[in-house]
Amino acid sequence: MEIDNDVAMQDATEEPLDPTLDEDASTRDGGGSRNEVGLEGSNTADHRSSKPLQLDSGNIGQLDKWIEHLSSCQVLSEEDVGRLCKMAVDVLQFEENVQPVNVPVTICGDVHGQFHDLMELFKIGGPCPDTNYLFMGDYVDRGYYSVETVSYLVAMKVRYPKRITILRGNHESRQITQVYGFYDECLRKYGSASVWKMFTDLFDYFPITALVDNKVFCLHGGLSPMIETVDQVRELNRIQEVPHEGPMCDLLWSDPDDRGGWGISPRGAGFTFGQDISEQFNHTNDLSLIARAHQLVMEGYAWSHQQSVVTIFSAPNYCYRCGNQAAIMEFDENHNRQFLQYDPSMRPGEPTVSRKTPDYFL
Amino acid sequence: MGGNNKDTSNKNSDMSEPEVKSSKNADVTENDISDSGNGPQEGEDLYPLALLMDGLKHDDIGNRVEAMKKLDTIAVALGPQRARDELIPFLSEVAQDDEDEIFNVLAEQLGKFVPFIGGSKFATLLLPALEILASTEETLVRDKAVESLNNVAQELSEDQLFHDFIPLIEHLATADWFSSKVSSCGLFRAVLVRVKDDKFRKELLALYLQLVQDDTPMVRRAAGKNLPVLIDLLTQNPDLSTSDDWDYISSMFQKIMTDGQDSVKFLAVDVLISILKFFSKKHDTTHSKDLLRSAIQLIGDESWRVRYMAAEHFEELAHQFIATPRYIDELSGPFLALCEDNESDVRKGVAKQLPGFAKLLGDPQVVLKKVLPVVQNLSMDESEMVRASLASEITNLAPLVPKQDAIETLIPILLNMLRDEYPDVRLNIIAKLKVVNEVVGIDLLSENLLPAITELAKDANWRVRMAIIDYVPLLAEQLGVEFFDKQLGDLCLSWLWDTVYSIRKAAVTNLKNLTEIFGSDWASEKIISRLLTSDSQLLENFVYRITLLHALTELVPVISNDVITQKVLPFINHLTEDAVPNIRFNVAKSYVSVVESLCADKSKNKDLIQSTIVTSLEKLSHDNDVDVRYFAAESLTKSKALLA
Repeated sequence: MEIDNDVAMQDATEEPLDPTLDEDASTRDGGGSRNEVGLEGSNTADHRSSKPLQLDSGNIGQLDKWIEHLSSCQVLSEEDVGRLCKMAVDVLQFEENVQPVNVPVTICGDVHGQFHDLMELFKIGGPCPDTNYLFMGDYVDRGYYSVETVSYLVAMKVRYPKRITILRGNHESRQITQVYGFYDECLRKYGSASVWKMFTDLFDYFPITALVDNKVFCLHGGLSPMIETVDQVRELNRIQEVPHEGPMCDLLWSDPDDRGGWGISPRGAGFTFGQDISEQFNHTNDLSLIARAHQLVMEGYAWSHQQSVVTIFSAPNYCYRCGNQAAIMEFDENHNRQFLQYDPSMRPGEPTVSRKTPDYFL
Repeated sequence: MGGNNKDTSNKNSDMSEPEVKSSKNADVTENDISDSGNGPQEGEDLYPLALLMDGLKHDDIGNRVEAMKKLDTIAVALGPQRARDELIPFLSEVAQDDEDEIFNVLAEQLGKFVPFIGGSKFATLLLPALEILASTEETLVRDKAVESLNNVAQELSEDQLFHDFIPLIEHLATADWFSSKVSSCGLFRAVLVRVKDDKFRKELLALYLQLVQDDTPMVRRAAGKNLPVLIDLLTQNPDLSTSDDWDYISSMFQKIMTDGQDSVKFLAVDVLISILKFFSKKHDTTHSKDLLRSAIQLIGDESWRVRYMAAEHFEELAHQFIATPRYIDELSGPFLALCEDNESDVRKGVAKQLPGFAKLLGDPQVVLKKVLPVVQNLSMDESEMVRASLASEITNLAPLVPKQDAIETLIPILLNMLRDEYPDVRLNIIAKLKVVNEVVGIDLLSENLLPAITELAKDANWRVRMAIIDYVPLLAEQLGVEFFDKQLGDLCLSWLWDTVYSIRKAAVTNLKNLTEIFGSDWASEKIISRLLTSDSQLLENFVYRITLLHALTELVPVISNDVITQKVLPFINHLTEDAVPNIRFNVAKSYVSVVESLCADKSKNKDLIQSTIVTSLEKLSHDNDVDVRYFAAESLTKSKALLA
């Protein structure tokens, strides 16, 4: 078992504070000083249309231009982010809680605003749309380029909805982004929180799980004691802020554990689940594998529960100091799995470390 | 800001339109009709003088810089007369009272200004403003001003040089403040060889000698830096200078060589080389012995910066003594000492000079006994920069020693360096294998060097693999097709099946580059045939099918139409039915390349394109996948346009 729980530990010490922050948002009174963004007030939600977005030569040209701009790590203007998010709502709202995904697909874990490493990921796995991608959440926070990273992935999603799937992670949430960097980055790069508001409103529409060829169940965190079948996930109302308890919360927060059965998560949200739980879930739902992200693993990927569960983490040298490798998993049309590991890209102007920071700093 | 500016500019240019015209008319009588006449018709906005002045007085420095950049436009609009009478005096004022950014642009603009003020006879009008700019504190501005002054000086007659330019140099060179003196050092080149009068030239050199001995190191440094340029000018006019001139130059060299500041002293190396070149050109060896002593003194200087300069320029320096082989031999001791210098930078500098100097030594036995042992040491130097520097030139030693010795002594060193942990070392060796190949022959190379190359080609770090791929075309060119097929062909194909996309992509590009070297027939026989019989189990993975498709598509522009229609097109057609949509839309993209190539012979291939490609694309444009439909429709439009 190679799972490094350091991040979880840190989350455990800091993120339990969130429920206090959470109160405001979940009661949706819009009164909190940083939480003036209740769901009701959301522009993005107000203007959602009843039909999926139709791509035509006009918006394809626009999207291609945005993607080119973003791929040089430059942010879009506030107006363009607004337009992009509106288009994205009309793509994402029609996806399912358990979004079906075809093979072949390349499955990726946390990115966390490490834009240059995301570009490195495409150098390793191949460019989208030639390669199909499934990202399992946590695009923002901690890295320095959350805005560029999430803008890029959302733009790719709108441009090639069949070629890329983007799931929601526990960081795609109003509360968490206010603590871990995305909110501050938006404020710094745009001078106001409006871009943060547009994206966090959009996050509510992200699918929360995906099912690859009916065999691999993909999600950010892990299982929930309230979910026994994949069908139960389909019945959830996902279009809301990530709740701080309940099945949707668990899917985005839980971790596999060496201990059997359900356990209390040190993160303060979600649960830990043992091998018995994973095996039962896979058996019940005729699955071969649960693929998830959410935890730092030094090799970029790690098996647990005798290969019932795999953790994939795609942010190399996480937080620019963890010294970990990143990985992605290629899942081909014959259900063969191939893990590709990679190291950080060359990052001009960003802090680099030659020496690993002692673990207790992480 | 842009919007506002534009409004005012439009308004103003409307208002002053007649004014511009009248000035233009006035100039027709004078000269430069073409310049002033072209101006108003050109597309660019014409800023009238009032607006330029407004722009130059704008509070925002950005606006002032922009206005200054339009200086040539306004000068054209004004015509030479008014440019002289109004613009130049105004600019002289600006040159005294603004920010460095403005000065910088102004200094550059004035260098191109001679045509705008009526040609060379008025060129001296530009000197006062440039002189002010050449005296500013900011180095960038001064450098620009000096460059512009030199440009203007080109246009001046000998008379103008005497009356205006040389006094300007003297003025700057004897100013109180160091900045003017530094600038003056860069101006002597404009006059030194244009002054045919011996006495006058002597005076100039006497003035320069003063600068070489100035109190401030900055001035001495500038003088030292510019001196080789002046000497080279004398070398180009070998019969101009007198022995008096050379007495001055000799004293300058002595002063620089014994300067207390390292940063001045190390300039002596370049000065010495220039002096030596002059005497080489004159075939005068009377000073060689003294100069050799100076050279040896510099090479062994206590300051590492001086030694570094000597090391960096060793071959050039030694080359000047070629008339006297005995002197070259005398330099070998100091040379070997540099190879063992304590400073890695010195070793790095001299490592590059090894083959060059070894060639000057001439005697293979000397190279073998004296040079190769230090090469051996440097190849294991603790500094990777030294090893990389050695690697970039070391192969040139191969022709300098007897073949057997090259095999026994040099090749083992090269092999070791190919296994260096630092990739630059390995790559530098590979990049220059050609010369080794010529000496030791292909068989030996394949026996010894290729294992090392193939090892690198399979390095765990994909960026190392990538670097090797980049060198393959180079290697292919050096080694020839027969050898390539035998030793490297498999390797090149194997990269296509790498797990890392960037390697697969580089492998595809590599095949194209190789085809450009070896030709279409070669590609058809050695690449395409083999690709089309690739392992079917491998191709069950779409990653490799798409790579194969990309490889064939990339080759399309560099292979003959027969190969395309007989081999490539059937394969692409077969992929239109692929289960993976990503393959199908890449097929759609590939078709465009095929059509582009086949359209070279449109009459012959039109039916084929219609019956296969257009039909397939039409079918794909009704695919059940949205991206396949999109790319198929796009390719269909492009193909039809190509056919039309």
